[in-house]
Amino acid sequence: MVMFLMVLCMSVFGLAVCGLAFGAATRGLPTGEETPLTAAVDERLAAVPERFFVRDAAPLPAPAARVVPKVPIEVFLAQIERHIRLEQAAAESFLSAPSPESLHGRTVSPLVH
Amino acid sequence: MSIEQADMLLGLSAADAARVGALGSRMHVPTGAALFELGSEAHDVFIIERGRVALTLPMVFGDRQEHILVEERTAGQLVGWSGLIPPHRFTLKAAAQIDTEVLALPRGPLLAFFEANPAVGYVVLRNLASVVGQRLQVTQAMWLREMQRFVESRSS
Repeated sequence: MVMFLMVLCMSVFGLAVCGLAFGAATRGLPTGEETPLTAAVDERLAAVPERFFVRDAAPLPAPAARVVPKVPIEVFLAQIERHIRLEQAAAESFLSAPSPESLHGRTVSPLVH
Repeated sequence: MSIEQADMLLGLSAADAARVGALGSRMHVPTGAALFELGSEAHDVFIIERGRVALTLPMVFGDRQEHILVEERTAGQLVGWSGLIPPHRFTLKAAAQIDTEVLALPRGPLLAFFEANPAVGYVVLRNLASVVGQRLQVTQAMWLREMQRFVESRSS
């Protein structure tokens, strides 16, 4: 009997401690009634049409305009000069053996790749 | 290089080529100096005897204007055929890339010589037509290559 009462007391005490701990942990958190669910939804996500099997990630921002690396003008001029020499060589090659293939043969010019 | 090897005088006898050459005067064009400017009046045609000449057109880069190489001419080749073709204005700029010697042939005496010697004039003008035609064909091919790239860039 004593043993039973002791176990009962300890169980009630443990239950009380768990209750206090739970109360302390959940104090101050917003409840569902306080914050409407729609306010928590990302507006960008709302704009995305719902689809199955698509990860619910926010859409990426639009890519910025392509940044053209600034090359010193002398380097750029040298590239243009090389391009023209290669194009002339290709054109002369076409004239020596005219065919659609030789007209549109590729060159190694960096300006066209 | 002997005068009869010049592309403008190919097919002439050495004597006739020498007679045409005697109409001209030799000019020294130091490295970087202009032989003629775009838009200037063309009174002469030039045969390059030694060196190398760059033919350029202007391109604008921001607030800068640069001369872009269009063609190069070396010993034996002709530059400045606008001197013989109306409206006698140069459509390119020519400048020496290295120390260069040219033979400048003035239009007036040259045409007078051709009238007096039509067989020589026929050969020279046929050679001139060949030079002009070759440049036209090269330019056509280059232009079409650019157009092809433009079409490909639009369709991709």
